[in-house]
Amino acid sequence: MGKYWIAFVANKSLSGGLFLLYVIVTSIGIYLSQKSIVSFLLLLASLLILYFLQFPDKVKWAAALVILGVVLPFAASHGQSYQSYMDVAVMVGIYVAMALGLNIVVGMAGLLDLGFIAFFALGAYTYGIFTTSQASHFMPFGHYPLSGASFWMFILIGCLFGALFGVLLGIPVLRVKGDYLAMVTLGFGEIVRIVFNNLDKPINITNGAMGISSIAPPELFGIRFIYPSQFYYVVLVLLLIVIYMVRRLERSKMGRAWKAVRENEIAAQAMGIPLVKTKLAAFAIGASFSGAMGVVFAAKQAFVDPTSFTYLESTTILVMVLLGGMGSVPGVILGASIITILNLQVLTEVTNWLNQLSMSGVLKIPDALSPAKMQRFIFGLLLIVFALYRSKGLLPAKNMHYDLEKLARRTHSMDAVPAAGETNKG
Amino acid sequence: MLTDLIGTLPQVLIDGLTLGAIYAVVAIGYTMVYGILELINFAHGEIFMTGAFIGTSLLFLFTGQGWIHTLPAILILLLAIIAASICTGVLGIGIERVAYRPLRNAPKLITLITAIGISFLLQDIVRFIAELKKGTYIINGPNLFNGQIHIKASSLWPEFHDATLKSSFLVVLLVSIVMLAVLDIFVNRTKWGMAMRAVAQDRETASLMSVNVNKVIAITFFIGSALGGATGVLFAVQYGTIDPYIGYTLGIKAFTAAVLGGIGNIRGSMAGGLILGLIEMFAAANLSGLTGGVFGSEYKDVFAFILLIIVLIFKPEGLFGKAAAEKV
Amino acid sequence: MNLLEIKGLTKNFGGLAAVSNVNLNVPKNSITAVIGPNGAGKTTLFNMVTGVYKPSAGDILLNGEPITGLKPHAVARKGIARTFQNIRLFDSLSVMENVLIGMHSRLKSNFFGAVFQLPGTRREEEAAQMEAFELLQYVGLDGLLNEPATNLPYGAQRRLEIARALAVKPKLLLLDEPAAGMNPKETKELTDLIRNMCGEKDLTIILIEHDMKLVMEISNHIAVLDHGENIAEGKPVEIRNNPRVIEAYLGKGALAYA
Repeated sequence: MGKYWIAFVANKSLSGGLFLLYVIVTSIGIYLSQKSIVSFLLLLASLLILYFLQFPDKVKWAAALVILGVVLPFAASHGQSYQSYMDVAVMVGIYVAMALGLNIVVGMAGLLDLGFIAFFALGAYTYGIFTTSQASHFMPFGHYPLSGASFWMFILIGCLFGALFGVLLGIPVLRVKGDYLAMVTLGFGEIVRIVFNNLDKPINITNGAMGISSIAPPELFGIRFIYPSQFYYVVLVLLLIVIYMVRRLERSKMGRAWKAVRENEIAAQAMGIPLVKTKLAAFAIGASFSGAMGVVFAAKQAFVDPTSFTYLESTTILVMVLLGGMGSVPGVILGASIITILNLQVLTEVTNWLNQLSMSGVLKIPDALSPAKMQRFIFGLLLIVFALYRSKGLLPAKNMHYDLEKLARRTHSMDAVPAAGETNKG
Repeated sequence: MLTDLIGTLPQVLIDGLTLGAIYAVVAIGYTMVYGILELINFAHGEIFMTGAFIGTSLLFLFTGQGWIHTLPAILILLLAIIAASICTGVLGIGIERVAYRPLRNAPKLITLITAIGISFLLQDIVRFIAELKKGTYIINGPNLFNGQIHIKASSLWPEFHDATLKSSFLVVLLVSIVMLAVLDIFVNRTKWGMAMRAVAQDRETASLMSVNVNKVIAITFFIGSALGGATGVLFAVQYGTIDPYIGYTLGIKAFTAAVLGGIGNIRGSMAGGLILGLIEMFAAANLSGLTGGVFGSEYKDVFAFILLIIVLIFKPEGLFGKAAAEKV
Repeated sequence: MNLLEIKGLTKNFGGLAAVSNVNLNVPKNSITAVIGPNGAGKTTLFNMVTGVYKPSAGDILLNGEPITGLKPHAVARKGIARTFQNIRLFDSLSVMENVLIGMHSRLKSNFFGAVFQLPGTRREEEAAQMEAFELLQYVGLDGLLNEPATNLPYGAQRRLEIARALAVKPKLLLLDEPAAGMNPKETKELTDLIRNMCGEKDLTIILIEHDMKLVMEISNHIAVLDHGENIAEGKPVEIRNNPRVIEAYLGKGALAYA
């Protein structure tokens, strides 16, 4: 089986041609049917297939961009489920970006952060507070609500706020040993949630349990982004930026330092890697992604309340990272996509299907066991199974590959010249 | 304001001791497992919760059968406790065998994640069983020991306000004390207790001394989980209403208590639990007064979490523990 | 000229004095061996020099500059690198990455350089890769550059640790039992490597070793620790015949056979 696959993939025109066909067929499937979850998923799965095909990276990226930027929205726009497809796609984008942030903290640096959602909440509430009249309750200056045109600036603010709080939290917390770090971050996540839930007195900052509604949608040159189909492009662009940054960091001195800290702290220190600063950097960068995405989330939902930011959400993102592959960028993208789609589409669809079955008398599944409610069970099971049997995830992290021949050739030609980088000699 | 503070003291003391006893026993479960495996058993809170549900179901069963009229309530309670704790004890052994033992040599992160997975699993399993049977997952237990006792503390010292306690408080306190005493004797005076302490200190050497390490670990889990389950029943009796998510918050707080007392130190956990219970009740009663209405009693959980963070950062070995150094 | 000076160094763990009032002078470009029975405090000494432990008393001077109590990463940046008694490689990372990490303190690129792929960063990375490759060639591991470190055979792992330490471009290299678990052939290769390294890379080397053949062959200078104290110091020939040393290793009875 494996041999056929390898042969197939090696034959570029064959695999390329079939892939194209696949994309066309699934797109038509979405285009023609009113609501075909299956076609939608299959089209998204084409990206996974693309990952395994053997074309140059640039070609693959171009193809992915075309599929995501053109094919998918176009195909989905025909039926009445357009917005619902795009809605799911937007959420996938948001969660993938967040999971990539957590991946830096947990996957690369090896720090178990169970309160990651707190930064997301921070970003979301920041945008929510300032673009509704909420801010006028406590801000001594300025006119509120701010218009949606400030959205773009707020993404940056969310990013910086996230980083700032990541550092503030990290400074005391990162000296703590691994297991304890999990508890401390968990505690912090809970503190943030409880505080947001109760900060409606004495000054009403967050409107407590009722949440903040009517948050301004983003505006650009007079166009207001209200529909998921418009948000889709915002999220797509942001996601591309995030992926680009993460991949660059992964291969850099910083990325290596994180991995060294994860593998063996004591040896890392002996190599001159400052533990606290390195961990803080991971924390801050991961948190900044989360904060920025919080802003996007708030703008899209137009409503925030503390129930979106619980321990369950933090763990959900952790499941995404574990499922996909800790430390692995393609893996985490896959994991986040799977879990989000599972949560938002598959579980509800299966529940509906089972309801229909029980209504027609075929099968009676009691409401208590309805899949939509079984989230914790499924996540728990996924965590256990993957931790026990496939702890490296679906697409395990791969070390960067160095070209032996290229290096050998280069060093030979350098033999005549004194070696570069002769700094720290004395 | 000071008079308010003092006035509430008797009630705070009573409520704090009740809560503290519960924290103390649950904390022991955490501390025992950490001492022996260096693993935070995230699922322990859920074991406590399962015990509460099993106990409540048994109590429903017993009262349904009409035993409540023939046997004294305390006996029924003890039966329920024993049965529930055996169940949770076995559950604990099962969890260890299935989920923790295969990962003994894996990185800590993975084991932690497995534990989180189990806690989620348990929460949902209990939820849908409860929903199946009762239509809701919030369950009100049958009323035992509902008599109110009034303590005229004001006659002791005029500054004190009067305090009331449910008679179940006495039951909880008594049973907890008995459990703690029995555990203390077991750990410090019996052969298996000594084996447990040996394995906690140095697993390899203990096995060289012909201690069956796997068995000792299983026993540790059994005892910790059984105690946790028993406390769950006590919780149900004391507070009346249970739901599948009580294990979560209580678990974190019990863990805080364990760390406060010094993780790995059983007596320390007892102290930690009582201290935490008292602090929490004190905060609940006085927080709004102390902060002039800014922070109300809803923040009492935040209090506990902040305490956890402070202890872990500044004194991770707790009040009674010893700092451990890693061999380089 | 002494590269490293240790004065009155002491480390107490609770009531136990692991290292007690040790003095040691290490001349530049020399190979000094620290020997002694197990538990004598040799690794503790190393740990204090590299900042892993804070000394209870005493001073450590590198080129006359005090480095006592500095954190491990600061000590590394001063030019002190080490290997570990129980190999501490970055297991799941490749051989090449392990060595590249050794170069961490010498690379100047930062977050912005990495994200925006500034030309300075790119040049630095390329140069670093070439240098790392050369180090791997030096220890004979260049063919394995993409292997995860954990897959390497034992002897190769020890050599990788050395390559990684060399990547720090240290002035002082501390080797903690580098020959442990090696067969005679591997030990011979290691001996040659250490001797060559010292001259070719302008190093000063301190090593902890139990393999006396290696120690006697390669060291200019030997210090003997027992129960945390420095009981003898001098040239290999002197140490070999020193009665206190023999007693420490073999017990009083052995003196009769010396």
